[in-house]
Amino acid sequence: MKRPSRARRIAAALALGAVLVAAVFLFLFLILTTARPSGRVVPAHAPDLANGETLFHAGGCIGCHEPPSGAEDAGLPTGGASFPTPMGTFYPGNLTPDPDTGIGRWTAEAFLDAMTEGVSPDGRHYFPAFPYTSYRNMRVEDMLDLRAYLMSLPPVRSSQRDPDIAMVGLARRTMGLWKRLAFRGRGFRIDPERSATWNRGAYLVQGPGHCGECHTPRNALMILDDARRLEGGAHPGGEGQVPSLRDLLGRGRYKDVADLTLAMQFGETFGYDNLSSGGMAEVQMNLARLPEADLRAISEYLLSLH
Amino acid sequence: MRETTLRMLIALALVVAVVSIAGAAATGTTAIEERQEAMEDIGKAIQTLAAIAKKEAPFDAGVVKTSAETIANRLKTAADLFPDGSDKGDVETWAKAEIWTDRENFNKDFQSAHAAAVAMQSVTDEAAFGAALGAIGNGCKTCHDMYRRPKQ
Repeated sequence: MKRPSRARRIAAALALGAVLVAAVFLFLFLILTTARPSGRVVPAHAPDLANGETLFHAGGCIGCHEPPSGAEDAGLPTGGASFPTPMGTFYPGNLTPDPDTGIGRWTAEAFLDAMTEGVSPDGRHYFPAFPYTSYRNMRVEDMLDLRAYLMSLPPVRSSQRDPDIAMVGLARRTMGLWKRLAFRGRGFRIDPERSATWNRGAYLVQGPGHCGECHTPRNALMILDDARRLEGGAHPGGEGQVPSLRDLLGRGRYKDVADLTLAMQFGETFGYDNLSSGGMAEVQMNLARLPEADLRAISEYLLSLH
Repeated sequence: MRETTLRMLIALALVVAVVSIAGAAATGTTAIEERQEAMEDIGKAIQTLAAIAKKEAPFDAGVVKTSAETIANRLKTAADLFPDGSDKGDVETWAKAEIWTDRENFNKDFQSAHAAAVAMQSVTDEAAFGAALGAIGNGCKTCHDMYRRPKQ
């Protein structure tokens, strides 16, 4: 008579233990993955629309936030076009100031939180297909200028939809854990040993330009490996490898700063054949809209990498 | 007698299978080599035109016309150098699978690039040259961006 009751007691204890452990894990998961606004204080800043436009092109925002093909608003970042990745298909959002489907009602705080924390105004995690991991490196004033530029665009209503990803709700939640790991890197800092031009280039590449999102390899957790910065990575669309940006001189890719600057300005039109495959032509055409001084800065920085 | 016939038939079937597989691979390889040669010719002509645009060479309407003709002639037949089954071969190719799933759009890209090269043939002054070269360049970029994998 004693045996079964003891076994039952052990079983009950084990079951209770398992439930408790599961509850603790769930609790921790919920705590660790809850998206919260940063509560930051936005500094007073008189926006510079021209600088905002430069950053818009430096980031190539239109490349992902473009309208669906054939739409009337070509050239405006209305979102709606699909962005297929091996993880699933994303539908980047509307960056025009439409109050309902765009950023029209977003406060400056909400905009900055989206850019640097990857948190949406309604308190959800963005997937890192939106490269906030790079935009975190941007100066606050630059982000405010970018916001002002976007707010100056004509508002366009656009359809917004969730990405086509398996268990999208859980996946989104899990990004909270991912960010805790991905945000631990050092981030961009000015290197006082280098020239102002070099630092401007490094900033544009590591911040708004988010070049590393494709050109830097990722580790098993899909976190950018800073130690191997710009050594080449997997193509986001699953199309093989994205080339390394290191040792461009030694590999005979470009002759000098002037050469690489011309390449970014004209790409394949001037015979720079390597600048148009797998989406890079679009990047090049956005880069072509930057002031020449910025392209020279990017070139100086990139050609210094060995 | 019947057994011999059967054996012969099997042997024949095997030979046909081997020959057609080898043939298909050869077709792929030949097509890849041919189109890469065509692209190299176009690339050289673009370099000639780019040198003029970069002011490394003087504007010469004759040179412009010859280069534009090379580009146009090569582009005219280039779409045919991507036959079915030439997505791989013994030679490395950067052609993406979308070429064969998205054929209509792929051919259209070639047609518009060809039209831009034809337009360049009648450019006689430096003022129109830049825009005409830009149009050819956009043709190259659009198609390569969609249908070519990055080279290392």
